[in-house]
Amino acid sequence: MSLDIRNVTKIFPGPRQGFFGRSESFTALDNVSLSIRKGASFGLVGESGSGKTTLTRCVLRLETLSAGHILFDGADIHKLTPLEMRRLRSRLQIVFQDPYASLDPRMTIHDIVAEPLVIHGDVVRLNTRQRTERVLELLLQVGLRSEHMFRYPHEFSGGQRQRIGIARALAVRPEFLILDEPTSALDVSVQADVLNLLHRLQEELGLTYFFISHDLGVIRYICDDVAVIYRGKLVEQGPVAEIFDHPKSDYTRMLLDAMPDPDPDHSPFRNQAIA
Amino acid sequence: MTLLDIRNLNLAMRSYEGETQILHGIDLKIERGEIWGMVGETGSGKSLTGLSVSRLIPSPPGRYLAGSIEFQGKDVLKATDKEMRALRGRHIGMIFQDPTTNLNPAFRIGTQLVDVALHAGHADPSVLGLSGGASRGDLKRAARRVAVEMLDKVGIPKAAERIHDYPHQFSGGMRQRVLIAMAMIGKPDLLIADEPTTALDVSVQAQILRLIHDLVAERNIGVLLITHNLGVVAQICSHVAVMYRGRILEAGPVGDVLKRPSHSYTQALLNSVPTAHTKRGELKGLSGVMPETAA
Repeated sequence: MSLDIRNVTKIFPGPRQGFFGRSESFTALDNVSLSIRKGASFGLVGESGSGKTTLTRCVLRLETLSAGHILFDGADIHKLTPLEMRRLRSRLQIVFQDPYASLDPRMTIHDIVAEPLVIHGDVVRLNTRQRTERVLELLLQVGLRSEHMFRYPHEFSGGQRQRIGIARALAVRPEFLILDEPTSALDVSVQADVLNLLHRLQEELGLTYFFISHDLGVIRYICDDVAVIYRGKLVEQGPVAEIFDHPKSDYTRMLLDAMPDPDPDHSPFRNQAIA
Repeated sequence: MTLLDIRNLNLAMRSYEGETQILHGIDLKIERGEIWGMVGETGSGKSLTGLSVSRLIPSPPGRYLAGSIEFQGKDVLKATDKEMRALRGRHIGMIFQDPTTNLNPAFRIGTQLVDVALHAGHADPSVLGLSGGASRGDLKRAARRVAVEMLDKVGIPKAAERIHDYPHQFSGGMRQRVLIAMAMIGKPDLLIADEPTTALDVSVQAQILRLIHDLVAERNIGVLLITHNLGVVAQICSHVAVMYRGRILEAGPVGDVLKRPSHSYTQALLNSVPTAHTKRGELKGLSGVMPETAA
């Protein structure tokens, strides 16, 4: 299960001006190419507005491409029929950024996690009782307990909600997981637990991760390969250790310098310190 | 005189399930020129401590069981509403976490800044560079000038033009700068920043931290920086207080606390920050670090 993104360009048309005119269009992705091998974690780093999320939406075919191809196991996903695409989506799942917005407040945890099993019923084929068993198995897998099954999202903390989002994504046993800033809404201490959970799940289930983040520390921790994106263009890509230890571009170096290090001696402000 | 002296602060909040005590005897002293970091997880009471200083916790549901908060020698818990209004924005500036919800989308940036400047100017015309007895027109003109100056100071290019823009025309980092400008207009002696960089990218975060750092160096103010990230504390704070469940576990100069934490919880918080050098499996969450005690 590999993902190949080849020369992808996405141009959003500008807003309408008058009757026939349009103002300038916006190039969100400019000739982006990258490939993710099976079983690896690929990280994509960039600031807000750099096109990270647009790329994930293209991979899920929630956006059309202006140019280029996205190949999933050799098949161009933007040429699939709607039925084929639905089949493919059961192998390709996403965990969203905001655990407070991505869970329906009126559904129980059981219903939330079971929903993909119902939608992909033609692929998974479980009856109601088997579905409930699967939900229980998933909740235990992500570190929640059986009594959580019939509660509602508002009864959970941010970290627990993100675990529910992960359980939902894993429900249909996907091979490929897109993680769109899964920890940016969480406390650092909770983030550590979620990252360790993701790491453990990858080892247990042999998942491939496409991990989007603006936090280089998180990327370094979880990913094997990394690509840096700036204003829709890939600045640099390669193995994590290489990019972090020997960044080639100034932009990557700037991002690395901006990372808060918990050692006071590494602070850029200390030299002229006030203390 | 100590700028801010919090002594044995005990706060309880009422809910449908009854009253729960949130803060259990907080003690904290902030002098001018110090940047105090207050770290803790969600629900540890760090924001409520910050809000208490400018007395923004409505009562009910909040109720102070004991303690005092002396700001420049005066207890704000005993101050009248009128006295508090004179303090807020003028002597105590506040920056809140989410720049999108704290600016009114229906008004221009300039209008919102000028409002704050006028409020501060009415209490003390010297803030706007005027003497007492200045006319209404003078105040208005001066408020506008100060608003542009502040916007320029926090690094917004073409401040005189951007002042006519609405909040949605600004990016997240720029909105946060607008809020900082707003907090600094009254030339406060104490700045309370409640998670000012949590919603921002790391590169913008570095710029905002630099801004706060420079303000302290320039104006010799005191800062209470509330955050859950020890990385941020290590960068700019001179002192740090670690909070857990409404108590301060340890407090002191950053070098002492972060280099030689005396409490296992502080060490655990440090271990949870991913850095450029953290290897897989080294990161530790906080589950199981603290014993589950009934608060």
